[in-house]
Amino acid sequence: MKTNYYRDSLQLLRLSEEAKKIEGVKDAAVVMATSTNKEILNKLKLLTSEGLSASSSDLIIAVLADSEPAIDHGIQRIEALLTQPPTASKGRFHTIEAALLSMPDANLAIVSIPGEHVRRIVTSLLEKGLNVHLFSDHVSLEDEFELKKLAKSKGLLVMGPGAGTSIIAGKAIAFANVVRKGNVGIVAAAGTGLQEVSVLVNDCGLGVSQALGTGGGDVKDQIGGITTLQAIEALERDTSTSIIVIVSKPPDATVKKKILDYVTQSTTKPVVTCFLGAEWSTNTIVNGTRISSTRTLHAAVLETLKRASPQATFDSISMSPNELFAIVNELRKELKGRQRYVRGLYTGGTLAYEALVILNQLVGSVYSNAPLNSSFRLPKSSESLKDSILDLGEEEFTLGRAHPMIDPTVRQLRLIEEARDPEVAVIIMDIMLGYGSHSDPAGAMCDSISKAQMIAKNDHRVLPILAHVCGTDQDPQRRSDQIERLEKIGVRTFSTNALMVTASALISRRGIVTLATLNEFYKQFLDSSHGK
Amino acid sequence: MVEKILKLFNSDLKVINIGLELFKNDLESQKVSVVQVSWQPNPKLEKEYEDILSKIL
Repeated sequence: MKTNYYRDSLQLLRLSEEAKKIEGVKDAAVVMATSTNKEILNKLKLLTSEGLSASSSDLIIAVLADSEPAIDHGIQRIEALLTQPPTASKGRFHTIEAALLSMPDANLAIVSIPGEHVRRIVTSLLEKGLNVHLFSDHVSLEDEFELKKLAKSKGLLVMGPGAGTSIIAGKAIAFANVVRKGNVGIVAAAGTGLQEVSVLVNDCGLGVSQALGTGGGDVKDQIGGITTLQAIEALERDTSTSIIVIVSKPPDATVKKKILDYVTQSTTKPVVTCFLGAEWSTNTIVNGTRISSTRTLHAAVLETLKRASPQATFDSISMSPNELFAIVNELRKELKGRQRYVRGLYTGGTLAYEALVILNQLVGSVYSNAPLNSSFRLPKSSESLKDSILDLGEEEFTLGRAHPMIDPTVRQLRLIEEARDPEVAVIIMDIMLGYGSHSDPAGAMCDSISKAQMIAKNDHRVLPILAHVCGTDQDPQRRSDQIERLEKIGVRTFSTNALMVTASALISRRGIVTLATLNEFYKQFLDSSHGK
Repeated sequence: MVEKILKLFNSDLKVINIGLELFKNDLESQKVSVVQVSWQPNPKLEKEYEDILSKIL
Protein backbone atom coordinates (compact mmCIF):
# COMPACT_ATOMS: atom_id res chain seq x y z
CA MET A 1 0.00 0.00 0.00
CA LYS A 2 1.27 3.47 -0.81
CA THR A 3 -0.38 6.25 1.18
CA ASN A 4 -1.55 9.47 -0.51
CA TYR A 5 -0.36 8.35 -3.91
CA TYR A 6 -2.39 9.45 -6.95
CA ARG A 7 -2.36 7.99 -10.43
CA ASP A 8 -5.30 8.30 -12.83
CA SER A 9 -7.48 5.26 -13.49
CA LEU A 10 -6.25 4.74 -17.04
CA GLN A 11 -2.59 4.79 -16.05
CA LEU A 12 -3.42 2.22 -13.38
CA LEU A 13 -5.44 0.06 -15.77
CA ARG A 14 -2.49 -0.04 -18.15
CA LEU A 15 -0.12 -0.76 -15.28
CA SER A 16 -2.35 -3.60 -14.06
CA GLU A 17 -2.26 -5.14 -17.54
CA GLU A 18 1.56 -4.85 -17.55
CA ALA A 19 1.77 -6.33 -14.05
CA LYS A 20 -0.17 -9.45 -15.11
CA LYS A 21 2.56 -10.16 -17.67
CA ILE A 22 5.41 -10.17 -15.11
CA GLU A 23 7.02 -13.58 -14.90
CA GLY A 24 5.69 -15.66 -12.01
CA VAL A 25 2.66 -13.41 -11.45
CA LYS A 26 -0.71 -15.19 -11.77
CA ASP A 27 -2.90 -12.14 -11.28
CA ALA A 28 -2.32 -8.52 -10.29
CA ALA A 29 -4.08 -5.20 -9.85
CA VAL A 30 -2.86 -1.69 -9.18
CA VAL A 31 -5.74 0.52 -8.04
CA MET A 32 -6.70 3.51 -5.91
CA ALA A 33 -8.19 2.09 -2.72
CA THR A 34 -11.79 3.21 -3.24
CA SER A 35 -14.65 1.10 -1.85
CA THR A 36 -15.52 -0.04 -5.40
CA ASN A 37 -11.99 -1.18 -6.08
CA LYS A 38 -11.71 -3.00 -2.76
CA GLU A 39 -14.94 -4.86 -3.52
CA ILE A 40 -13.58 -5.92 -6.91
CA LEU A 41 -10.20 -6.95 -5.45
CA ASN A 42 -12.13 -9.09 -2.99
CA LYS A 43 -14.02 -10.83 -5.82
CA LEU A 44 -10.73 -11.42 -7.61
CA LYS A 45 -9.24 -12.80 -4.35
CA LEU A 46 -6.67 -9.99 -4.34
CA LEU A 47 -7.69 -8.14 -1.16
CA THR A 48 -5.55 -8.43 1.97
CA SER A 49 -6.24 -6.98 5.42
CA GLU A 50 -3.74 -4.20 4.66
CA GLY A 51 -5.61 -3.39 1.45
CA LEU A 52 -8.91 -3.41 3.33
CA SER A 53 -7.66 -0.75 5.73
CA ALA A 54 -6.43 1.59 2.96
CA SER A 55 -8.29 4.84 2.25
CA SER A 56 -9.39 6.20 -1.11
CA SER A 57 -6.32 8.44 -1.51
CA ASP A 58 -4.02 5.42 -1.08
CA LEU A 59 -2.84 3.12 -3.81
CA ILE A 60 -2.92 -0.68 -3.56
CA ILE A 61 -0.52 -2.97 -5.40
CA ALA A 62 -1.98 -6.48 -5.25
CA VAL A 63 -0.09 -9.49 -6.61
CA LEU A 64 -1.09 -13.14 -6.66
CA ALA A 65 1.79 -15.59 -7.20
CA ASP A 66 2.88 -19.04 -6.11
CA SER A 67 5.78 -18.04 -3.87
CA GLU A 68 6.96 -15.18 -1.66
CA PRO A 69 9.96 -14.41 -3.93
CA ALA A 70 7.61 -14.24 -6.95
CA ILE A 71 5.35 -11.83 -5.06
CA ASP A 72 8.32 -9.66 -4.01
CA HIS A 73 9.63 -9.65 -7.56
CA GLY A 74 6.20 -8.67 -8.89
CA ILE A 75 5.81 -5.80 -6.43
CA GLN A 76 9.32 -4.51 -7.11
CA ARG A 77 8.68 -4.47 -10.87
CA ILE A 78 5.38 -2.68 -10.43
CA GLU A 79 6.93 -0.08 -8.13
CA ALA A 80 9.64 0.52 -10.71
CA LEU A 81 6.97 1.07 -13.39
CA LEU A 82 5.03 3.38 -11.08
CA THR A 83 7.97 5.58 -10.23
CA GLN A 84 9.24 6.00 -13.75
CA PRO A 85 9.46 9.77 -14.05
CA PRO A 86 7.10 11.27 -16.64
CA THR A 87 9.09 12.33 -19.66
CA ALA A 88 8.91 15.95 -20.75
CA SER A 89 9.02 15.42 -24.48
CA LYS A 90 7.79 17.39 -27.45
CA GLY A 91 4.10 18.16 -27.14
CA ARG A 92 4.03 17.33 -23.43
CA PHE A 93 4.00 19.96 -20.69
CA HIS A 94 3.55 20.23 -16.97
CA THR A 95 1.58 23.48 -16.93
CA ILE A 96 -1.21 24.96 -19.01
CA GLU A 97 0.81 28.15 -19.48
CA ALA A 98 3.68 26.23 -21.04
CA ALA A 99 1.30 24.30 -23.29
CA LEU A 100 -0.30 27.56 -24.45
CA LEU A 101 3.06 29.11 -25.23
CA SER A 102 3.69 26.19 -27.53
CA MET A 103 0.22 26.37 -29.09
CA PRO A 104 -0.93 30.01 -28.81
CA ASP A 105 -3.77 29.49 -31.30
CA ALA A 106 -5.36 26.58 -29.37
CA ASN A 107 -9.16 26.71 -29.69
CA LEU A 108 -10.29 23.78 -27.53
CA ALA A 109 -9.23 22.23 -24.24
CA ILE A 110 -10.20 18.74 -23.16
CA VAL A 111 -10.17 18.39 -19.40
CA SER A 112 -10.22 15.07 -17.52
CA ILE A 113 -8.98 15.65 -13.99
CA PRO A 114 -10.57 14.97 -10.58
CA GLY A 115 -13.71 17.08 -10.10
CA GLU A 116 -12.51 19.11 -7.12
CA HIS A 117 -9.80 20.76 -9.24
CA VAL A 118 -12.01 21.56 -12.23
CA ARG A 119 -13.28 25.02 -11.32
CA ARG A 120 -9.84 26.56 -10.95
CA ILE A 121 -8.41 24.98 -14.10
CA VAL A 122 -11.41 25.58 -16.38
CA THR A 123 -11.76 29.19 -15.20
CA SER A 124 -8.20 29.86 -16.31
CA LEU A 125 -8.82 28.15 -19.67
CA LEU A 126 -11.91 30.28 -20.30
CA GLU A 127 -10.02 33.43 -19.30
CA LYS A 128 -7.52 32.50 -22.00
CA GLY A 129 -10.32 32.22 -24.59
CA LEU A 130 -10.57 28.44 -25.03
CA ASN A 131 -13.72 26.38 -25.51
CA VAL A 132 -13.74 23.44 -23.12
CA HIS A 133 -14.82 19.83 -23.45
CA LEU A 134 -15.07 18.84 -19.78
CA PHE A 135 -14.95 15.08 -19.38
CA SER A 136 -14.44 15.19 -15.60
CA ASP A 137 -17.37 14.36 -13.37
CA HIS A 138 -17.95 14.87 -9.63
CA VAL A 139 -18.18 18.62 -10.29
CA SER A 140 -20.72 20.44 -8.11
CA LEU A 141 -23.70 22.12 -9.76
CA GLU A 142 -22.54 25.40 -8.23
CA ASP A 143 -19.14 25.11 -9.94
CA GLU A 144 -20.82 24.03 -13.20
CA PHE A 145 -23.12 27.06 -13.12
CA GLU A 146 -20.27 29.52 -12.44
CA LEU A 147 -18.15 28.05 -15.24
CA LYS A 148 -20.99 28.07 -17.76
CA LYS A 149 -22.00 31.61 -16.82
CA LEU A 150 -18.42 32.75 -17.40
CA ALA A 151 -18.20 30.80 -20.69
CA LYS A 152 -21.44 32.31 -21.98
CA SER A 153 -20.32 35.84 -21.11
CA LYS A 154 -17.25 35.21 -23.29
CA GLY A 155 -19.18 33.51 -26.11
CA LEU A 156 -17.44 30.19 -25.40
CA LEU A 157 -18.77 26.68 -24.80
CA VAL A 158 -18.23 24.49 -21.74
CA MET A 159 -19.34 21.04 -22.89
CA GLY A 160 -19.77 19.04 -19.67
CA PRO A 161 -18.97 18.27 -16.89
CA GLY A 162 -19.45 14.60 -17.50
CA ALA A 163 -19.44 15.13 -21.28
CA GLY A 164 -18.39 11.83 -22.75
CA THR A 165 -18.77 12.69 -26.40
CA SER A 166 -18.59 15.43 -28.99
CA ILE A 167 -17.91 15.56 -32.70
CA ILE A 168 -16.53 18.94 -33.72
CA ALA A 169 -15.36 19.89 -37.19
CA GLY A 170 -15.50 16.21 -38.16
CA LYS A 171 -13.24 15.06 -35.32
CA ALA A 172 -14.27 12.65 -32.57
CA ILE A 173 -13.66 14.10 -29.11
CA ALA A 174 -13.35 11.65 -26.16
CA PHE A 175 -15.77 8.73 -26.63
CA ALA A 176 -17.13 9.29 -30.10
CA ASN A 177 -17.58 7.32 -33.28
CA VAL A 178 -16.26 7.87 -36.76
CA VAL A 179 -19.28 8.98 -38.76
CA ARG A 180 -19.49 10.72 -42.12
CA LYS A 181 -19.87 14.46 -42.36
CA GLY A 182 -23.36 15.62 -43.16
CA ASN A 183 -26.15 18.03 -42.30
CA VAL A 184 -27.49 16.65 -39.01
CA GLY A 185 -26.51 18.70 -35.94
CA ILE A 186 -26.86 17.06 -32.55
CA VAL A 187 -27.06 18.54 -29.05
CA ALA A 188 -27.00 15.93 -26.31
CA ALA A 189 -27.13 15.99 -22.53
CA ALA A 190 -26.54 12.26 -22.83
CA GLY A 191 -23.23 10.86 -24.06
CA THR A 192 -24.15 7.44 -25.37
CA GLY A 193 -27.41 8.94 -26.66
CA LEU A 194 -25.27 11.13 -28.88
CA GLN A 195 -23.23 8.09 -29.94
CA GLU A 196 -26.32 6.02 -30.79
CA VAL A 197 -27.99 8.82 -32.76
CA SER A 198 -24.82 9.72 -34.70
CA VAL A 199 -24.12 6.06 -35.51
CA LEU A 200 -27.68 5.32 -36.66
CA VAL A 201 -27.80 8.51 -38.74
CA ASN A 202 -24.58 7.31 -40.38
CA ASP A 203 -26.04 3.81 -40.91
CA CYS A 204 -28.92 5.31 -42.87
CA GLY A 205 -26.65 7.17 -45.25
CA LEU A 206 -26.73 10.64 -43.69
CA GLY A 207 -23.97 12.41 -41.77
CA VAL A 208 -23.28 14.70 -38.83
CA SER A 209 -22.30 18.38 -39.04
CA GLN A 210 -21.48 18.94 -35.35
CA ALA A 211 -22.47 16.90 -32.28
CA LEU A 212 -22.15 18.71 -28.99
CA GLY A 213 -22.29 17.01 -25.59
CA THR A 214 -23.51 19.32 -22.84
CA GLY A 215 -23.23 17.03 -19.80
CA GLY A 216 -26.30 15.72 -17.96
CA GLY A 217 -26.30 18.53 -15.38
CA ASP A 218 -27.00 21.14 -18.05
CA VAL A 219 -30.74 20.36 -18.15
CA LYS A 220 -31.18 20.72 -14.40
CA ASP A 221 -32.87 23.80 -12.92
CA GLN A 222 -29.66 25.02 -11.28
CA ILE A 223 -27.93 25.28 -14.67
CA GLY A 224 -30.93 26.18 -16.80
CA GLY A 225 -29.74 24.62 -20.04
CA ILE A 226 -27.03 27.26 -20.63
CA THR A 227 -24.87 25.08 -22.91
CA THR A 228 -27.85 23.40 -24.61
CA LEU A 229 -29.28 26.79 -25.61
CA GLN A 230 -25.88 28.08 -26.82
CA ALA A 231 -25.43 24.89 -28.85
CA ILE A 232 -28.90 25.13 -30.44
CA GLU A 233 -28.26 28.76 -31.35
CA ALA A 234 -24.90 27.85 -32.89
CA LEU A 235 -26.40 24.96 -34.92
CA GLU A 236 -29.24 27.21 -36.07
CA ARG A 237 -26.63 29.62 -37.47
CA ASP A 238 -24.22 26.94 -38.72
CA THR A 239 -24.58 26.79 -42.50
CA SER A 240 -23.60 23.11 -42.72
CA THR A 241 -26.44 22.08 -40.37
CA SER A 242 -29.91 21.72 -41.85
CA ILE A 243 -31.65 19.73 -39.09
CA ILE A 244 -31.13 19.81 -35.31
CA VAL A 245 -31.59 16.81 -33.00
CA ILE A 246 -31.79 17.39 -29.24
CA VAL A 247 -31.26 14.35 -26.99
CA SER A 248 -31.48 14.26 -23.23
CA LYS A 249 -32.61 12.30 -20.23
CA PRO A 250 -35.67 14.08 -18.80
CA PRO A 251 -34.83 17.75 -18.25
CA ASP A 252 -36.24 19.58 -15.24
CA ALA A 253 -39.64 21.01 -16.21
CA THR A 254 -38.56 24.64 -16.35
CA VAL A 255 -35.53 23.79 -18.49
CA LYS A 256 -37.62 21.68 -20.87
CA LYS A 257 -39.99 24.62 -21.29
CA LYS A 258 -37.08 26.99 -21.84
CA ILE A 259 -35.59 24.73 -24.52
CA LEU A 260 -38.92 24.18 -26.28
CA ASP A 261 -39.78 27.90 -26.14
CA TYR A 262 -36.39 28.76 -27.60
CA VAL A 263 -36.72 26.16 -30.35
CA THR A 264 -40.24 27.35 -31.22
CA GLN A 265 -39.48 31.07 -31.20
CA SER A 266 -35.85 31.37 -32.23
CA THR A 267 -35.08 28.60 -34.71
CA THR A 268 -36.18 28.07 -38.28
CA LYS A 269 -34.63 24.67 -39.06
CA PRO A 270 -36.43 21.34 -38.50
CA VAL A 271 -35.87 20.16 -34.93
CA VAL A 272 -36.32 16.64 -33.52
CA THR A 273 -36.33 16.26 -29.75
CA CYS A 274 -35.91 13.12 -27.70
CA PHE A 275 -36.33 13.77 -23.98
CA LEU A 276 -36.01 10.14 -22.92
CA GLY A 277 -38.38 9.21 -20.11
CA ALA A 278 -39.87 12.69 -19.87
CA GLU A 279 -43.46 12.73 -18.78
CA TRP A 280 -45.38 12.32 -21.99
CA SER A 281 -48.14 14.83 -22.28
CA THR A 282 -49.71 16.84 -25.05
CA ASN A 283 -47.53 19.84 -24.28
CA THR A 284 -44.43 17.77 -25.12
CA ILE A 285 -45.53 17.61 -28.72
CA VAL A 286 -44.82 21.13 -29.79
CA ASN A 287 -45.60 21.30 -33.41
CA GLY A 288 -46.16 18.39 -35.72
CA THR A 289 -44.66 20.05 -38.73
CA ARG A 290 -41.28 21.66 -38.11
CA ILE A 291 -40.62 20.44 -34.57
CA SER A 292 -41.24 16.86 -33.58
CA SER A 293 -40.86 15.01 -30.31
CA THR A 294 -39.92 11.38 -30.00
CA ARG A 295 -39.70 8.91 -27.11
CA THR A 296 -36.66 6.81 -28.05
CA LEU A 297 -33.31 7.35 -29.76
CA HIS A 298 -34.44 4.92 -32.47
CA ALA A 299 -37.55 7.01 -33.18
CA ALA A 300 -35.51 10.24 -33.10
CA VAL A 301 -33.30 8.90 -35.87
CA LEU A 302 -36.21 7.75 -38.05
CA GLU A 303 -37.89 11.13 -37.60
CA THR A 304 -34.63 12.89 -38.49
CA LEU A 305 -34.27 10.84 -41.65
CA LYS A 306 -37.80 11.58 -42.78
CA ARG A 307 -37.13 15.29 -42.40
CA ALA A 308 -33.58 15.39 -43.71
CA SER A 309 -34.12 13.24 -46.74
CA PRO A 310 -37.56 12.12 -47.87
CA GLN A 311 -35.94 9.43 -50.04
CA ALA A 312 -33.84 7.99 -47.19
CA THR A 313 -34.21 4.30 -46.55
CA PHE A 314 -34.46 2.92 -43.05
CA ASP A 315 -33.79 -0.72 -43.93
CA SER A 316 -30.45 -0.80 -42.16
CA ILE A 317 -31.96 -0.05 -38.77
CA SER A 318 -35.58 -1.14 -39.15
CA MET A 319 -37.25 -4.42 -38.39
CA SER A 320 -41.01 -5.01 -38.58
CA PRO A 321 -42.94 -6.43 -35.60
CA ASN A 322 -43.41 -9.65 -37.56
CA GLU A 323 -39.69 -10.01 -38.21
CA LEU A 324 -38.91 -9.32 -34.56
CA PHE A 325 -41.49 -11.91 -33.46
CA ALA A 326 -39.91 -14.52 -35.72
CA ILE A 327 -36.43 -13.92 -34.27
CA VAL A 328 -37.75 -13.98 -30.73
CA ASN A 329 -39.69 -17.21 -31.28
CA GLU A 330 -36.45 -18.91 -32.17
CA LEU A 331 -34.56 -17.50 -29.18
CA ARG A 332 -37.21 -18.30 -26.59
CA LYS A 333 -38.28 -21.79 -27.59
CA GLU A 334 -36.09 -23.71 -25.13
CA LEU A 335 -36.58 -21.46 -22.12
CA LYS A 336 -37.81 -23.03 -18.87
CA GLY A 337 -41.03 -21.77 -17.28
CA ARG A 338 -39.27 -20.07 -14.38
CA GLN A 339 -36.98 -18.03 -16.66
CA ARG A 340 -38.95 -14.80 -16.57
CA TYR A 341 -36.65 -11.82 -16.21
CA VAL A 342 -34.54 -9.45 -18.29
CA ARG A 343 -31.14 -8.40 -17.01
CA GLY A 344 -29.33 -5.52 -18.71
CA LEU A 345 -25.59 -4.95 -18.27
CA TYR A 346 -24.93 -1.54 -19.77
CA THR A 347 -21.78 0.51 -20.07
CA GLY A 348 -23.73 3.36 -21.71
CA GLY A 349 -25.97 5.29 -19.32
CA THR A 350 -28.32 6.72 -21.93
CA LEU A 351 -28.78 3.34 -23.59
CA ALA A 352 -29.62 1.89 -20.15
CA TYR A 353 -32.14 4.66 -19.74
CA GLU A 354 -33.70 3.97 -23.14
CA ALA A 355 -33.97 0.32 -22.06
CA LEU A 356 -35.89 1.37 -18.95
CA VAL A 357 -38.26 3.52 -20.99
CA ILE A 358 -39.04 0.65 -23.38
CA LEU A 359 -39.33 -2.07 -20.74
CA ASN A 360 -41.51 0.16 -18.62
CA GLN A 361 -43.99 0.18 -21.49
CA LEU A 362 -43.79 -3.50 -22.39
CA VAL A 363 -43.17 -5.33 -19.09
CA GLY A 364 -43.89 -2.73 -16.38
CA SER A 365 -41.55 -1.13 -13.85
CA VAL A 366 -37.99 -2.38 -13.85
CA TYR A 367 -35.36 -2.21 -11.12
CA SER A 368 -32.18 -0.30 -11.73
CA ASN A 369 -29.34 1.52 -10.01
CA ALA A 370 -30.48 4.52 -12.09
CA PRO A 371 -34.26 3.90 -12.29
CA LEU A 372 -37.03 5.87 -13.96
CA ASN A 373 -38.95 5.85 -10.71
CA SER A 374 -37.07 6.02 -7.41
CA SER A 375 -39.24 3.32 -5.80
CA PHE A 376 -37.59 0.85 -8.20
CA ARG A 377 -34.03 1.72 -7.17
CA LEU A 378 -32.14 -1.50 -6.50
CA PRO A 379 -31.56 -1.75 -2.73
CA LYS A 380 -28.04 -2.95 -3.52
CA SER A 381 -26.47 -2.27 -6.91
CA SER A 382 -24.44 -5.43 -6.44
CA GLU A 383 -27.59 -7.62 -6.56
CA SER A 384 -30.17 -7.65 -9.34
CA LEU A 385 -33.84 -8.10 -8.59
CA LYS A 386 -36.52 -9.43 -10.96
CA ASP A 387 -36.18 -7.36 -14.17
CA SER A 388 -33.07 -5.22 -13.65
CA ILE A 389 -31.17 -2.82 -15.87
CA LEU A 390 -27.72 -1.82 -14.63
CA ASP A 391 -25.82 1.28 -15.64
CA LEU A 392 -22.29 0.11 -14.87
CA GLY A 393 -20.96 3.60 -15.56
CA GLU A 394 -22.63 4.96 -12.41
CA GLU A 395 -20.48 6.18 -9.56
CA GLU A 396 -20.79 3.08 -7.34
CA PHE A 397 -19.10 1.02 -10.07
CA THR A 398 -16.53 3.58 -11.22
CA LEU A 399 -15.13 5.32 -8.13
CA GLY A 400 -11.36 5.23 -8.72
CA ARG A 401 -11.74 2.95 -11.75
CA ALA A 402 -11.72 3.44 -15.49
CA HIS A 403 -15.19 3.58 -17.06
CA PRO A 404 -16.59 0.15 -18.07
CA MET A 405 -16.41 1.20 -21.72
CA ILE A 406 -12.64 0.92 -21.19
CA ASP A 407 -12.27 -1.59 -18.37
CA PRO A 408 -14.53 -4.66 -18.82
CA THR A 409 -13.77 -6.25 -15.41
CA VAL A 410 -16.94 -5.18 -13.60
CA ARG A 411 -19.23 -6.39 -16.38
CA GLN A 412 -17.33 -9.65 -16.81
CA LEU A 413 -17.81 -10.46 -13.11
CA ARG A 414 -21.44 -9.38 -13.11
CA LEU A 415 -22.35 -11.45 -16.17
CA ILE A 416 -21.23 -14.63 -14.41
CA GLU A 417 -23.36 -13.74 -11.38
CA GLU A 418 -26.43 -13.12 -13.54
CA ALA A 419 -25.94 -16.41 -15.37
CA ARG A 420 -26.19 -18.29 -12.08
CA ASP A 421 -29.73 -16.96 -11.45
CA PRO A 422 -32.19 -19.59 -12.80
CA GLU A 423 -34.94 -16.97 -13.17
CA VAL A 424 -33.08 -14.96 -15.79
CA ALA A 425 -34.63 -15.38 -19.25
CA VAL A 426 -32.37 -13.10 -21.25
CA ILE A 427 -29.31 -10.88 -20.82
CA ILE A 428 -28.83 -7.74 -22.87
CA MET A 429 -25.73 -5.60 -23.25
CA ASP A 430 -24.28 -2.73 -25.23
CA ILE A 431 -20.92 -2.96 -26.93
CA MET A 432 -19.68 0.61 -27.37
CA LEU A 433 -17.14 1.25 -30.12
CA GLY A 434 -15.33 4.39 -31.16
CA TYR A 435 -12.42 6.45 -29.95
CA GLY A 436 -11.86 6.27 -26.21
CA SER A 437 -13.45 2.83 -25.83
CA HIS A 438 -11.72 -0.51 -25.26
CA SER A 439 -9.78 -1.69 -28.31
CA ASP A 440 -11.82 -4.92 -28.54
CA PRO A 441 -14.90 -4.64 -26.33
CA ALA A 442 -16.66 -7.67 -27.83
CA GLY A 443 -13.53 -9.80 -27.54
CA ALA A 444 -13.13 -8.71 -23.92
CA MET A 445 -16.57 -10.14 -23.11
CA CYS A 446 -16.30 -13.40 -25.11
CA ASP A 447 -14.73 -15.56 -22.36
CA SER A 448 -17.27 -14.42 -19.80
CA ILE A 449 -20.13 -14.96 -22.25
CA SER A 450 -18.96 -18.51 -22.93
CA LYS A 451 -18.63 -19.14 -19.18
CA ALA A 452 -22.13 -17.75 -18.61
CA GLN A 453 -23.54 -20.04 -21.31
CA MET A 454 -21.73 -23.00 -19.73
CA ILE A 455 -23.13 -22.19 -16.28
CA ALA A 456 -26.66 -22.22 -17.74
CA LYS A 457 -25.98 -25.41 -19.69
CA ASN A 458 -24.71 -27.24 -16.62
CA ASP A 459 -27.95 -26.21 -14.94
CA HIS A 460 -29.94 -27.61 -17.93
CA ARG A 461 -30.99 -24.14 -19.14
CA VAL A 462 -30.36 -22.08 -22.22
CA LEU A 463 -29.53 -18.42 -21.71
CA PRO A 464 -30.11 -16.10 -24.68
CA ILE A 465 -27.61 -13.22 -24.69
CA LEU A 466 -28.40 -10.23 -26.91
CA ALA A 467 -26.08 -7.39 -27.82
CA HIS A 468 -26.23 -4.08 -29.62
CA VAL A 469 -22.91 -3.03 -31.11
CA CYS A 470 -22.97 0.78 -31.21
CA GLY A 471 -20.38 1.84 -33.74
CA THR A 472 -19.39 1.98 -37.38
CA ASP A 473 -17.05 0.07 -39.65
CA GLN A 474 -14.86 3.18 -39.70
CA ASP A 475 -14.34 3.04 -35.92
CA PRO A 476 -10.95 1.73 -34.78
CA GLN A 477 -12.64 -1.52 -33.62
CA ARG A 478 -14.60 -2.06 -36.88
CA ARG A 479 -18.21 -2.94 -36.19
CA SER A 480 -18.49 -5.89 -38.56
CA ASP A 481 -15.54 -7.60 -36.82
CA GLN A 482 -17.09 -7.03 -33.41
CA ILE A 483 -20.46 -8.44 -34.53
CA GLU A 484 -18.74 -11.47 -36.03
CA ARG A 485 -16.93 -12.22 -32.75
CA LEU A 486 -20.18 -12.14 -30.82
CA GLU A 487 -22.30 -14.08 -33.28
CA LYS A 488 -19.65 -16.78 -33.50
CA ILE A 489 -20.30 -17.65 -29.85
CA GLY A 490 -24.08 -17.52 -30.17
CA VAL A 491 -24.85 -13.92 -29.21
CA ARG A 492 -27.72 -12.41 -31.18
CA THR A 493 -26.95 -8.83 -32.21
CA PHE A 494 -29.40 -6.03 -33.07
CA SER A 495 -28.95 -2.89 -35.16
CA THR A 496 -30.36 -0.57 -32.49
CA ASN A 497 -30.55 -0.62 -28.72
CA ALA A 498 -34.33 -0.14 -28.90
CA LEU A 499 -34.83 -3.24 -31.05
CA MET A 500 -32.65 -5.34 -28.72
CA VAL A 501 -34.58 -4.19 -25.66
CA THR A 502 -37.92 -4.81 -27.38
CA ALA A 503 -36.77 -8.34 -28.25
CA SER A 504 -35.76 -8.94 -24.62
CA ALA A 505 -39.24 -7.91 -23.47
CA LEU A 506 -40.83 -10.34 -25.93
CA ILE A 507 -38.54 -13.14 -24.73
CA SER A 508 -39.13 -12.60 -21.02
CA ARG A 509 -42.88 -12.00 -21.42
CA ARG A 510 -43.41 -14.66 -24.07
CA GLY A 511 -47.07 -15.12 -24.83
CA ILE A 512 -48.00 -12.05 -22.77
CA VAL A 513 -46.88 -9.28 -25.13
CA THR A 514 -49.00 -9.88 -28.23
CA LEU A 515 -48.44 -8.80 -31.81
CA ALA A 516 -51.25 -6.24 -31.40
CA THR A 517 -49.53 -4.73 -28.34
CA LEU A 518 -46.28 -4.68 -30.22
CA ASN A 519 -47.83 -2.90 -33.21
CA GLU A 520 -49.19 -0.18 -30.96
CA PHE A 521 -45.84 0.09 -29.18
CA TYR A 522 -44.03 0.50 -32.51
CA LYS A 523 -46.31 3.36 -33.47
CA GLN A 524 -45.73 5.26 -30.22
CA PHE A 525 -42.12 4.45 -29.42
CA LEU A 526 -40.23 3.38 -32.50
CA ASP A 527 -41.76 4.67 -35.71
CA SER A 528 -44.66 7.12 -35.81
CA SER A 529 -45.48 6.13 -39.38
CA HIS A 530 -45.75 2.42 -38.56
CA GLY A 531 -49.00 0.95 -39.88
CA LYS A 532 -49.83 4.03 -41.96
CA MET B 1 -23.28 35.67 -29.40
CA VAL B 2 -22.08 32.46 -30.94
CA GLU B 3 -19.46 33.75 -33.37
CA LYS B 4 -16.59 32.13 -31.47
CA ILE B 5 -18.43 28.80 -31.45
CA LEU B 6 -19.09 29.03 -35.20
CA LYS B 7 -15.41 29.81 -35.67
CA LEU B 8 -14.57 26.65 -33.75
CA PHE B 9 -16.87 24.63 -36.05
CA ASN B 10 -15.10 25.98 -39.11
CA SER B 11 -11.45 25.88 -37.98
CA ASP B 12 -8.91 23.12 -37.72
CA LEU B 13 -9.01 21.92 -34.13
CA LYS B 14 -6.01 22.88 -31.99
CA VAL B 15 -6.34 21.10 -28.70
CA ILE B 16 -4.78 21.32 -25.25
CA ASN B 17 -5.46 18.02 -23.50
CA ILE B 18 -5.30 18.14 -19.71
CA GLY B 19 -5.48 14.75 -18.02
CA LEU B 20 -6.06 11.37 -19.69
CA GLU B 21 -3.46 10.82 -22.41
CA LEU B 22 -5.80 8.45 -24.20
CA PHE B 23 -7.63 11.46 -25.64
CA LYS B 24 -4.37 12.95 -26.94
CA ASN B 25 -3.47 9.72 -28.71
CA ASP B 26 -6.95 9.41 -30.24
CA LEU B 27 -6.82 12.98 -31.54
CA GLU B 28 -3.37 12.46 -33.00
CA SER B 29 -4.58 9.42 -34.89
CA GLN B 30 -7.24 11.72 -36.42
CA LYS B 31 -4.44 14.12 -37.41
CA VAL B 32 -5.52 16.81 -34.94
CA SER B 33 -2.83 19.11 -33.47
CA VAL B 34 -2.74 18.45 -29.75
CA VAL B 35 -0.43 19.19 -26.83
CA GLN B 36 -0.56 17.31 -23.56
CA VAL B 37 -0.55 18.74 -20.06
CA SER B 38 0.50 15.95 -17.71
CA TRP B 39 -1.62 17.04 -14.80
CA GLN B 40 -0.97 16.01 -11.19
CA PRO B 41 -2.81 17.26 -8.09
CA ASN B 42 -0.78 19.59 -5.91
CA PRO B 43 0.82 17.66 -3.05
CA LYS B 44 -1.05 17.90 0.24
CA LEU B 45 0.71 20.48 2.42
CA GLU B 46 0.37 21.67 5.97
CA LYS B 47 -1.93 24.69 6.00
CA GLU B 48 0.91 26.93 7.20
CA TYR B 49 3.02 26.09 4.12
CA GLU B 50 0.02 26.39 1.82
CA ASP B 51 -0.63 29.93 3.09
CA ILE B 52 2.99 30.92 2.53
CA LEU B 53 2.98 29.42 -0.97
CA SER B 54 -0.27 31.13 -1.94
CA LYS B 55 1.26 34.47 -0.93
CA ILE B 56 4.37 33.86 -2.99
CA LEU B 57 2.66 32.51 -6.15
